Amino acid sequence: MDTPSPLLAGTLDLLILKTLSVGALHGYAIAQNIQRLSNDALRVEEGSLYPALQRMQVKGWLASETKRSPTGRQARYYRITAAGRKQLVAEEKAFRASVSATTLVLEGIKP
Amino acid sequence: MTPREILGRFAAWLRRDELDRQLAEDMRAHVELLARDLAHDGLSRDEAHAAARRQVGNVTRAREESRDAWGFPAIDVVLSDVRYALRGLRRTPGFAATVIVTLALGIGANAAMFGVIDRLMFRPFPYLRDPSAVNRVYLQTTYRGRASTAATFPYRRFLDLSRVSSTVAAVAAESEWRFGVGQGDATRIRKVAGVSASYFGFFDATPVLGRFFVATEDTPPVGATVAVISHELWSTDFGRSDVIGRSLKVGTMQYTIVGVAPPSFRGTAEGGPPDVFVPITTIPNNFGAWAQSSYLADYRWDWTEVLVRRKPGVSATAVGRELTTAYVQSRAAARALNPRVLPDSLVHPLGIAGSVKSAAGPDAGLESRVLLWVAGVALLVLAIACANVANLMLVRVLRRRREITVRLALGVSRRRLAAQLVTEALLLALLGCAAGVVVAQWGGVAIRRLLLPEGSDFNLATDWRTLGVALACAVTAAVATAIGPAILALRTDLAAALKAGVREGTFQRSPTRTVLVVAQGALTVVLLVGAGLFVRSVMSVEAVPLGYDARPVLEVVLDFRGFTMDSVESAAVRRRLLAAARSLPGVSDASRINSHPFSTNTADLHVDGIDSVEALGRFNFQMISPGYFSVMQTRILRGRAITDADRDGAALVAVVSEAMGRALWPGRDPIGQCLHVGLGDHPGATSRRCTMVVGVAENSAQQNLADDPRFMYYLSVEQFAPAMLSSMLLRVAAPDVTSQVETVRRALTREMPGDGFVVVRPLQEVVDDHMRSWRLGATLFVAFGGLALLVALVGQYGAISYQVTQRMHELGVRAALGARASDVVGLVAWQSVRVGAVAVGIGLALASSAARWVQPLLFHQSATDPLTYAIVAAGMLLAALAASALPAARAMRADPCTALRAE
Repeated sequence: MDTPSPLLAGTLDLLILKTLSVGALHGYAIAQNIQRLSNDALRVEEGSLYPALQRMQVKGWLASETKRSPTGRQARYYRITAAGRKQLVAEEKAFRASVSATTLVLEGIKP
Repeated sequence: MTPREILGRFAAWLRRDELDRQLAEDMRAHVELLARDLAHDGLSRDEAHAAARRQVGNVTRAREESRDAWGFPAIDVVLSDVRYALRGLRRTPGFAATVIVTLALGIGANAAMFGVIDRLMFRPFPYLRDPSAVNRVYLQTTYRGRASTAATFPYRRFLDLSRVSSTVAAVAAESEWRFGVGQGDATRIRKVAGVSASYFGFFDATPVLGRFFVATEDTPPVGATVAVISHELWSTDFGRSDVIGRSLKVGTMQYTIVGVAPPSFRGTAEGGPPDVFVPITTIPNNFGAWAQSSYLADYRWDWTEVLVRRKPGVSATAVGRELTTAYVQSRAAARALNPRVLPDSLVHPLGIAGSVKSAAGPDAGLESRVLLWVAGVALLVLAIACANVANLMLVRVLRRRREITVRLALGVSRRRLAAQLVTEALLLALLGCAAGVVVAQWGGVAIRRLLLPEGSDFNLATDWRTLGVALACAVTAAVATAIGPAILALRTDLAAALKAGVREGTFQRSPTRTVLVVAQGALTVVLLVGAGLFVRSVMSVEAVPLGYDARPVLEVVLDFRGFTMDSVESAAVRRRLLAAARSLPGVSDASRINSHPFSTNTADLHVDGIDSVEALGRFNFQMISPGYFSVMQTRILRGRAITDADRDGAALVAVVSEAMGRALWPGRDPIGQCLHVGLGDHPGATSRRCTMVVGVAENSAQQNLADDPRFMYYLSVEQFAPAMLSSMLLRVAAPDVTSQVETVRRALTREMPGDGFVVVRPLQEVVDDHMRSWRLGATLFVAFGGLALLVALVGQYGAISYQVTQRMHELGVRAALGARASDVVGLVAWQSVRVGAVAVGIGLALASSAARWVQPLLFHQSATDPLTYAIVAAGMLLAALAASALPAARAMRADPCTALRAE
């Protein structure tokens, strides 16, 4: 297993929103999903994930409720709100613009 | 932050404990899920758990971090600072109590004084519309460089002034009286306001019942007998029933109630609120049929106060100019009726549109000036308290130096540290403020009784203006007291302080603290000098020979309440009442009088050979019965007193005061000289005849205490006004005069015809009223000076005591080297006295430079009186010595062994 790289600054919110856009998940599942979808290339620090979840709740992008998981244990499930979806669209657009711009610069300069 | 986010943060802050728990739970769940997966991958249970926990990392840090998302970190910091400060104060209750009490005294003194001054001078009257556009009219004349300002004028002058129209939108008249209200047993003396119909237009008040009266009901020669009663009277005497149309006897007349004023409506009445408002044109009827025309139509009686509302954008100065013009015209009209009205070129008439509150107007008496001074004194007390508290806080920071150093070394930012000190100061000041308001409320009861007119409300709990000032005082005090300690804490040199070790450093002189102690001492000296001067001034006031002894005398005022009698009957009733009074048990003698001392009565007075008697000064007259001089114990120096023989038909006679005789006939014998007095039932006739001086009485203070020239003449009631006058003086033999008041009142009321009654009070009350403004300064200065001394002594004691603590080691070494106990005591005492001496020097210098302004407030007393200065200086040095007694005793016990062991 390769050493997972840290997240690009400012992308944690985007990744969480995207992950939750398909359905409600608990914190562990969010972290697992991100890691799996990135082929283990990205790893979410637990110490950042949970404060971020709370912050996003305060901002109104997420909502949460306690539910019984398929394995039968109590867990807090987070889901995206309407405001969260708006935020996701905006952040995704901004991220893509930024990546393509950065790529242009990287491609444009040949050593 | 967007508003939405603020809301979200606030909501989160409210459930911050729950969020915190959620986070912890989430992370615990995470660890378990991770451990389960790891175990799945083949690790043992324990290894899996340990690895999971390692991976998740520091849960506490994550919690800390997520806390930033809740609510408002700044508020949390403040709250934690407050909690920290509270903990610190609980650990040192002595310090906290001293600071809180000190600040409470300072803040309380200011809150009480502000409460009083605000009520007397600034607070607008309830319901008064746009108070800044309303002025009271003052008229001033300046004769020979001496200005005299009046706020009450003849009604006729009010009519003249009402013609000003280019600068003024409305003019109103008001006049306050105390009349009997009600009938029979229910009769009570109440405050009655006679007001013009235009008066109510000055207010945004709507009657709770009925209406106010209108212009057609308030026209000379006599207004309609309609009355508006106060909400309070309506509640207490009428049970809030439908009173419209009911009849109410007010003074001499039956009135019909047409309206009930809204709650706490008091018009512009200072002191207690009036109970009844009646048309001002009905007031003169109370003084008899003759007064009805005289009070309204000529310029002889000053009884009307005038209010004006300025037109928008017009300055008070512009109104004053128009008033001056109107005043000059009015004087010309008065001169047409009475040629003796002095020409304008001699008296420089001036109209002034001044404050509605007379205490803040140009006619403000000694009392308001004293009050402003005392307010300044209260500020000084607060300054002294602040200096004291600042000192205590400095000492506290010095004591906690090691704690502070350690916290700094552990990485607390200096800004946070300063913020904590300020929080602590603020907390103390707020506690002091709360205690101060209590002090002001309870201590203020005495001040209120001394300063505010009867019936004033003084409830600080609902008085936002005063509470605001108390709070402002507290915040200022907090800032003032925290600056020093905060700077000290910020300057702390880490390395040096950490090295200092157990002994907390060696003794250091602190210039800041010495300056603070000297400052409080100096300010205290200033206050004590003030207190001393005012006390000596009161002693001079009390030593003034009055020329009479008011203590065993009762004043009786008869109120016939309009019972109609012809002049023969009227004179007979009055003679009968005088006889009844003289025959009362315990009454040794009685006399009818014109009015009691200090209510000045002047008449047209002319003396052959003198162009203008008025130009020599104010000559006061008193109409008396033969018993007068024995009632008042005023001695007849030459000639004779008034006797029973001086009755109608006999030659007119007068007794003059020594000063009057000397002023009118310098170097000649007054006895046998002629006065021409225009007075009484037929002023024209009496002024043509010669009233011959038959006696000279000792000078008596009947105009005022201070600069009364004592020009006084006595006329026989029986010759000038046998059927008028309604006052008597009774000399009582009983040692306690007040015990006789009720007996006399009952006995004489029985003698009154119709609904008539009498009002009785000790004459000394009148004299005391006139000493009041002098006593006021003395009482308040002594109270605040004592307060300041107490606070300053605590401060000095604290400072010396702390120095001794600091020097214990040094003193121990001294003792080890052979210093005797007396040397040590001398060292400590000298320290205290030296600081005291510097404070005395500065304080006396300050006091003497302020002397110029205090002088007018003192009665025959130099503001740079050396004796007062010397006593204060000696007292202050003694106090400094006393403050060092306990610390010196402690210093004596400095133990050489302890000192040497510490090395």
